[in-house]
Amino acid sequence: MSLRVSNLSLSYGGGEPVLENASIAVGEGQFVSLVGPSGSGKSSLLRAVIGLQAPLAGTVETGLDPSEVGILFQDDALLPWKTARENVALGLTFHGVPRREALTKADGWLERLGLAGFGGRFPRHLSGGQRKRVALAQVLALHPKLLLMDEPFSSLDAIVRARVVQDVAALVERERISVLLVTHDLEEAISLSDNVYLLSQGPRARITHDYPVPIPRPRDPVRARMDPAFAPLYDKLWTDLSHEVDRVHAEAAA
Amino acid sequence: MSERFTWLRQAAAFAVLLIAWEAAGRAQLLNPLFMPSPSQIGAALVDLFGSGSIWPHLEATFTAALGGLAVGIAVGILLGVIAALVPFLGELIAPVMTVLNGIPRVILAPLFVIWLGIGLASKVALAFILVAVLIFFAVFGGIRQADRRLVERIITLGGTRWSLVQHVYLPSVTAWVLGSLKVAVGFAFTGAVVGEFVAATRGLGYLLSFAQSTYNSALMFALIFLILVVVLAIFWIAGRLERYLLRWS
Repeated sequence: MSLRVSNLSLSYGGGEPVLENASIAVGEGQFVSLVGPSGSGKSSLLRAVIGLQAPLAGTVETGLDPSEVGILFQDDALLPWKTARENVALGLTFHGVPRREALTKADGWLERLGLAGFGGRFPRHLSGGQRKRVALAQVLALHPKLLLMDEPFSSLDAIVRARVVQDVAALVERERISVLLVTHDLEEAISLSDNVYLLSQGPRARITHDYPVPIPRPRDPVRARMDPAFAPLYDKLWTDLSHEVDRVHAEAAA
Repeated sequence: MSERFTWLRQAAAFAVLLIAWEAAGRAQLLNPLFMPSPSQIGAALVDLFGSGSIWPHLEATFTAALGGLAVGIAVGILLGVIAALVPFLGELIAPVMTVLNGIPRVILAPLFVIWLGIGLASKVALAFILVAVLIFFAVFGGIRQADRRLVERIITLGGTRWSLVQHVYLPSVTAWVLGSLKVAVGFAFTGAVVGEFVAATRGLGYLLSFAQSTYNSALMFALIFLILVVVLAIFWIAGRLERYLLRWS
């Protein structure tokens, strides 16, 4: 087991819990998504897993060294004053890799992510998709066993997004990295995941359902949408999510 | 119109203005006591440099301005970093700086003359106080608004507190200081010249004061022109430095 979150409750700064009693499991090499409306505490859950936020209650177990857990945020947050390769090398130097060696490794990762020749550019001179790939290389260079992703693709336009998602899926599948992806995009969640958790509307959001995805691996996330299992599962998730949103609206009106 | 020739049009307009000015002077339309012609101002400049009498004054003003600038930047950064990172001291430093920022700090010039005499020290002090307050706010505000996302990125990549200083705070501070550098240069020369204007035996400000008391308006214009050229030259150097160090932005 790569990650086990048990009965976790979280709040924004100590107030009413935004998320309550959430339990999630990510098996080794498994790709798991957490889908929910805005304000259901999805991002906070990832922040709690990586230790940026303390939970109100519950536990997070990874069985991994903190250095084996990587996180990819929604925004790129690359250091603007460092070139692409220096940004990628950064995490490696924090873990004691000599600078020269770290830069060589960084070049290798940039090449693997289709950015050969772009290492000397500053983030400002890269496109959104390229910056996303640099941020990804920065995290993958540390060889994480568990990768947390917080809506990492939402800022990209459709075509670039499809290409980046394909590359990420292929990489994590090949390296057998366990992934917990947070998103509000149902299609993305189903096409990438082995298991999808659905969160209700916050505050006091709860995990309402858990859906195994029966699409076989290895898998291309773009073509997975054409798998016969995709449409029925999408329909079921959408129905459940709609019910949940309607229920909250009805309660608010009452 | 092409932007490439903007400077050419600007230069042409300036030339036309100078010629009209000169013509008006020669036609006796301008009283030379108040408004000397460009040729008279040029003659005063040539005289200043030809006799070599300008050098000690230039040296005095430059020493005061650059000395005040250097110490002002150093102290401004130091206080800004301390105030931003040590809240207890920040509570004490910030209000003092806010008051100093609110008043026209040149009013301190006579005080510095009493404390430090009419020599170089009082001019350096005035340039220093003008610059230090400016830099303090650039650094203090900057660190407090340091990009939270960059900080979290460094932490999640396994960085330590020192990594944060090295990779986030220091580069940010550099950027903010460079962003205020041009204003700081202007302030430093303001401090030096005003200090000399109040009480001195040397310097461009002293010469200006001398020109005023002798109604030598050609000399006054020549000095204003000279200060303008000096500050523009330093602006240019500061601009180049800024463009190199901030080439990522």
